[in-house]
Amino acid sequence: MTINLSDLLNDALNEIEECKTLNKIEEIRVKYLGKKGQITSQLKKLGSMEVDQKPSFGQKINNIKNQIEAKVRTKKIELKKTSIARNIATRSIDITLPGRKTLSGSIHPITTTLSDIENIFLNAGFLVEDGPEIEDEHHNFTALNIPEYHPARAMHDTFYFDNNLLLRTHTSPIQIRSMEKQGVPIKIIAPGKVFRRDSDLTHIPMFHQIEGLVIDQGINFTHLKGILHEFIDCFFEQQMELRFRPSYFPFTEPSAEVDILSEDGKWLEILGCGMVHPKVLDLLELDSEKYTGYAFGMGVERLAMLKHEIRDIRLFYDNDLNFLKQLK
Amino acid sequence: MKLPAEWLKEYCDINLTNEQIVTQLTMAGIECQLINKTGEIFDISLTPNRADCYSVLGVSRELAALNNTKFKSNQNTQTTIDHSDEIEIKIESPKDCPVLMTRIINNIDVNTTTPAIITNRLNSSGIQSVNIIVDVTNYVMLETGQPLHAYDLNAIDSKLIVRRGYDKENITLLDGSIKTIDQNYLLISDVVKPLGIAGIMGGEDSGIQTDTKHIVLESAYFNNEIIMGKPRMLNLHTESGLRFERGVDPSIQKYAIERTSALINEFSGGKNGPITNITSTSEIPERLPILLRKKRIQQILGITIPNNKVKEILTKLNMKIKEQDFGYSGWIVTPPPFRFDINQECDLIEELARLNGYDNIKERNEQGKIKLKKTSKRSNKINHINNLMLRLGYSEVINYSFISPSMSILLGKHIRTIDITNPLSIDMSIMRASLLPGLLNNLSHNLKRQHRTIKLFESGKVFKNINKTNQETEMLAGIGYGLRMDEQWITKLETINFYDIKGDLEHFFSSLKINTIIQYNQSTHPMLFPGRTAAINLDGKTIGYIGELSPELCMDLELSEQPILFEIDKEVLKLPKKVIHDKQTYFPSSRRDISIIINKEQEISEIIKVINTLNIKELKNIIIFDVYKGENLGIGRVSIALGLIFQNKSRTLTDEEIDTNMSKITKKILTTFNIKLRVE
Repeated sequence: MTINLSDLLNDALNEIEECKTLNKIEEIRVKYLGKKGQITSQLKKLGSMEVDQKPSFGQKINNIKNQIEAKVRTKKIELKKTSIARNIATRSIDITLPGRKTLSGSIHPITTTLSDIENIFLNAGFLVEDGPEIEDEHHNFTALNIPEYHPARAMHDTFYFDNNLLLRTHTSPIQIRSMEKQGVPIKIIAPGKVFRRDSDLTHIPMFHQIEGLVIDQGINFTHLKGILHEFIDCFFEQQMELRFRPSYFPFTEPSAEVDILSEDGKWLEILGCGMVHPKVLDLLELDSEKYTGYAFGMGVERLAMLKHEIRDIRLFYDNDLNFLKQLK
Repeated sequence: MKLPAEWLKEYCDINLTNEQIVTQLTMAGIECQLINKTGEIFDISLTPNRADCYSVLGVSRELAALNNTKFKSNQNTQTTIDHSDEIEIKIESPKDCPVLMTRIINNIDVNTTTPAIITNRLNSSGIQSVNIIVDVTNYVMLETGQPLHAYDLNAIDSKLIVRRGYDKENITLLDGSIKTIDQNYLLISDVVKPLGIAGIMGGEDSGIQTDTKHIVLESAYFNNEIIMGKPRMLNLHTESGLRFERGVDPSIQKYAIERTSALINEFSGGKNGPITNITSTSEIPERLPILLRKKRIQQILGITIPNNKVKEILTKLNMKIKEQDFGYSGWIVTPPPFRFDINQECDLIEELARLNGYDNIKERNEQGKIKLKKTSKRSNKINHINNLMLRLGYSEVINYSFISPSMSILLGKHIRTIDITNPLSIDMSIMRASLLPGLLNNLSHNLKRQHRTIKLFESGKVFKNINKTNQETEMLAGIGYGLRMDEQWITKLETINFYDIKGDLEHFFSSLKINTIIQYNQSTHPMLFPGRTAAINLDGKTIGYIGELSPELCMDLELSEQPILFEIDKEVLKLPKKVIHDKQTYFPSSRRDISIIINKEQEISEIIKVINTLNIKELKNIIIFDVYKGENLGIGRVSIALGLIFQNKSRTLTDEEIDTNMSKITKKILTTFNIKLRVE
């Protein structure tokens, strides 16, 4: 049986030309050029041919094979292009639709402020200490040179429990406990919740304080002024103008309040501080002649309010998600 | 304390505007502001140590010192003595009352109108005009700092007695209140009845009436120790008590009574008796000399103040100075009688700093030994936990540590709470024994504000009385409620359930490298849904709970979905130690799936536990990829699909090896549990 080779070629080229899909073209390629393909089987005939017919037949069949291969190749490229073009044309999306939101949380502004403050002092070599919120009279008052009935106690409206226990009115008892534990020299900050029996527009019965204490040989008032100015500049992330004015705390002498100058030219009280009263050290049986030191304390809510321009202190404890997520 | 500016300026020659005075006093530690309306009244907030400034004279004296000008107080007022009537005085406790001066003034006109200069000044200071006698005593108190009291002579039965109170003694005071006192209080009484609580408030019966003719003036120095704390205990915050408890100048009684008599005579007439003066000099607290060392000034302040400057400042403040070693080592300083706050060297150093100006102290950096900062374990743990909760979509809340009894009772009656004896209100009277009630409050608050996805957490202490000791424990608690994600086009609306929050906890425990040793056991909790509550156990100890809110509470709070809550002990949690890289290489893994049908009551964790007891080294992981309850399985039956992952570290496993392991596993679970294999 002889096959008309030019018919074979025309059939193949037509079929390729008509082909619409990449899958189909592969089928066509196999049909002609595969192991059992029509061209391949023609090539196999070469072996049994007369020697004089071989070269011309071989040349002919190879020529056909090359033509088909070339046609397949160009058709494939063409089909790929059309397929990609069709894909692009049909699969466009509305990129203005909003993306998938996962749930995002938030950290309370007081926690963030506390950790901002802590980080500044950690970098200055302070260690962080904490202590109990239910305290005794001794650590909260007496050891801090505030004897019973001292008018200074009126500044600390106190919540009491049975057995002379109370809710600490400041974080200063942590300083006493730390000195009892590790003596001096000492360089610590003490953050935490404190409680005052007070509630109105500007006062809440629970708030946060962070206090610092440095005691060593050769510590004096100039160092207190130095560290606090640096701290305030760091916290507000700008050079701040501030003033130290005399004040009174039973556990420091001299004592000072620090005011910062607000943008509208008003002095705003921001923290209290002073040189540790020698009586505090004497009560702990530490050498107040050899060691001197400074202490400072600040209200975290107040600092957060100044930084974020929050007007109402009570917002911190409403725990409204709108507020919390806005300030995260 | 409010004082009119013109009154202050009467006693010192200063050429300053009111605003300048405000700044000057504030920078000297006497916090001060002008009252808005007129700008002519100072509002002065004194720190408790500056008792000496509770008067026009006191503040003027301070201003004079600050401005280096003369203090113009003329304390030489003398009045005539018109008759010799005196009231008999008996002081039972001279220590409490070292100085008592009295004077009888007869035939006064109590109904005279108080002159405008006095009423205006009193009004500016916030004191109401009562009658001429009371007004004058108040006026002199504001002027001198010496509280005075006037009695109606006819109301006193024979003599004045200064004595301690009797146990449970009752007294009716000028303001009509009845107080019960005891031997810790000092009273002024006559032979039959108490006339007043010394230094705090007079009694109702002996006060000046509209028909009072003859009066007894009292000008006393009460030791501040007997007054201290009493105004607070009695809730009687009077001008008199305020001054006596902080300390009144023990040398000013004479001047005060003369000044009062003179003003009464001037406006109200009257005939003066002599001044009866009972003074126990030895009981007057003495201002002791204090050694002030030059090197100590330098040690505390870090600056050197020249000798002449030190002397100048102390002299201005009415201190007596004696040089010690010609000023090379220091001075012996005796403060004036009115400076109760100057007792030690450091008090003098503060005065030097104050008058020299805090602004004149430099800012310096500590010359510390340079040490590398140790990281704070405490801060690291807080940051780790907070960051993780943040990633899991929780918002942090901070609640008050005290809650209401109705919230506290949710935790069951067996918990011994710690109760505040003087709460602000009953709603804030019990120290929280759990963070969960607070989170429920936060949930309600935010639901009212239309939030549909609520995930909150709190870190904080809880308080319990255990074996009669108070214990504070740092806890971490969370609540999840509503939609798993905010409503959006791309996500189906699905509600947060138990397994969402359990998944969060698994993430949390994984980050602490303890997830594999945490166990969840079916348990109960007073606030949670029985059958949907797990105790969280670590090393055989319960460290917390997770569960759905109980159906009762859901109904009470009118919740349409069930919140899921958890609370865990934060103190037992530790940050993982450094993580070591697993250096083994693994060959490709193979997976085999099986489906089993179990009874609904069968906990899957038990089945997995039993598989793990086979100790098949190559079994790397078991995935539960389907839990199916269908009618075709029969009532109370559940189909569970498990994917078992096998892997060897040195070669690829053969099918035969895996098949052997699989048959071991199926045989083990089929013989241990009442379960069936499900054949697809």
